[in-house]
Amino acid sequence: MYSIETKSLTKSFGDVIAVNDISFSVNSGEIFGFLGPNGAGKSTTMMILTTLLKPTSGQALISEFDVVGNAKKVREKIGYVQQETTVDEYLTGRENLLLQAKLNHIPKNEINSRIDEVLELIELSDKQNDSVVTYSGGMRKRLDIAGGLLHRPKVLFLDEPTVGLDIQTRRKIWEYIKKIHKEFDMTIFLSTHYMEEADNLCDRIGIIDGGKIQVIDSPENMKNAMGNEVISIIMDDAHNRDSFLSQLKTIEFVKNINEDSTKLTLFVSNGTQVIPKIFQISSELKIKINTISLTRPTLDDVFLSYTGHEIRDDNSNFNRKREHAKMKRLRS
Amino acid sequence: MNSLMYDTYTIFWRELKRYKKSRSGVLIRLIQPAIWIIVVGNIFSGTQPLIQSVGFDGEYIEFMAPGVIILTAIFTSIFGGVNTLWDRRYGFMNKALTSPISRSAIALGKMSAISLIAAMQASLILGIALAIGVNFPNPIMIAPIMAIVILFSLGFSGISVMVAATAKSQETFWGMINFLGMPLFMLSPALFPLELLPNWLAVIAKLNPVTYTVLLVRELMTGVSEGGIPILLSLGILFAFVLVMIGLASYVFTREVNKPF
Repeated sequence: MYSIETKSLTKSFGDVIAVNDISFSVNSGEIFGFLGPNGAGKSTTMMILTTLLKPTSGQALISEFDVVGNAKKVREKIGYVQQETTVDEYLTGRENLLLQAKLNHIPKNEINSRIDEVLELIELSDKQNDSVVTYSGGMRKRLDIAGGLLHRPKVLFLDEPTVGLDIQTRRKIWEYIKKIHKEFDMTIFLSTHYMEEADNLCDRIGIIDGGKIQVIDSPENMKNAMGNEVISIIMDDAHNRDSFLSQLKTIEFVKNINEDSTKLTLFVSNGTQVIPKIFQISSELKIKINTISLTRPTLDDVFLSYTGHEIRDDNSNFNRKREHAKMKRLRS
Repeated sequence: MNSLMYDTYTIFWRELKRYKKSRSGVLIRLIQPAIWIIVVGNIFSGTQPLIQSVGFDGEYIEFMAPGVIILTAIFTSIFGGVNTLWDRRYGFMNKALTSPISRSAIALGKMSAISLIAAMQASLILGIALAIGVNFPNPIMIAPIMAIVILFSLGFSGISVMVAATAKSQETFWGMINFLGMPLFMLSPALFPLELLPNWLAVIAKLNPVTYTVLLVRELMTGVSEGGIPILLSLGILFAFVLVMIGLASYVFTREVNKPF
């Protein structure tokens, strides 16, 4: 049985197609990640799966219940931790969880023990009676996540669980997510634009860009499919670049090349033998190479090869948008 | 039905918790009605002969005190729904919407919390009125008066919750609320007797549920019935208003929150 299944899921807002004919399924007990830049359609898909938005066409099922036709049943099965922290600042940590327990109809006689249990898990027991105003960003996020799993949902949705947190806190959150997954054996569906996060947490990843899924596979398989190694070349200028490129493609072991003006990324299977050949060709063409590096492929490289652009390009745009949204909030 | 009650109570509990933690607001919100009763009540004290001409023999301030109690209820409850906008922006709403509770319960929980808060504010104003010497011959009447204020605020908060669910921004919300609040207050016998209104205004006032609420509270506070409207008719209209608002607010709220924000 699949925990999540979508069939040709599509959502458009006017002329903009946010989610374009997406079909995928997530196995029970799996950690599945949507990786993509902002505006890729991750949040929209998640909002459809959590019954907040109705799809324009196609179908989505959670534990075999339709998110439109059987929304109430779906809501009983899911936990949803939003991108923004949503805990009530005026309430204490415990009161927040109590509210969450009541919203999710946890039987009265179990509420207290469940709250104690998750507080323990996220290591906030000693702060439970403090107002959330006094919590740090990481603590708030932990409390939010705790609220999402209090009722032991079959499927836990985590929308960008570590966005805006520093690297130590992020790692800590990853630990909690792994711990939760192990302890409660729930299916986790998360979205992220951090490669490292997807790599670290997910059993399988769907790379999503422009509302479409480009590829779904485990991080390992994706990296292996890239070739064993990645060679990055930065040239002094772009002269003779095209003939350079066409000759590089003829080298044995070179599987794929990505180009970005004076930066070339080669996905290769036998890097140490490729590098001398690169120098040979470049000296024939009188091309000056500034730097060259040989690395193991990362998910960054995977993303680049499937979408033709780096995820960071969009992040800067994303940050601008966030900044804009923040200013708008402050003004109103 | 049972779970609707439970869910409504959950939201009610949350709203009251939030209210309790922002206590500074209580006093600030009392300033305006206090000014009304102290300043306007005295400015217009010379209109006593007018009031007496329709059979009210107390002072003007005693005539308008019930009006100011209702003013407090009107504005507390009509402003009360504004946090719906915050809830939608900061994610609490999505949290509630993805939980198994019904959408109506969210609206009803907010409305009942707002009405209780409005009644508390109104009782403080009643206290101020008594402190500045308004005569209140039958203190036992405070119970039915508060019941009426709670009922009325429940209906009125429906307006607020509907407007907040429909408005996408603070600006729209406040624009709409200011457009509605003041006229509904002015077009009632809160400050002047119905009999002294020009005919066309009296007709409009008689379509206004605020009118019947003011008449009820005034009758309970001062013992003077006014305008020949029987107490049972006023009560019936108030109940009908509240029931319609509960139904309408649940419907509009559910419809609006299902749309993307």
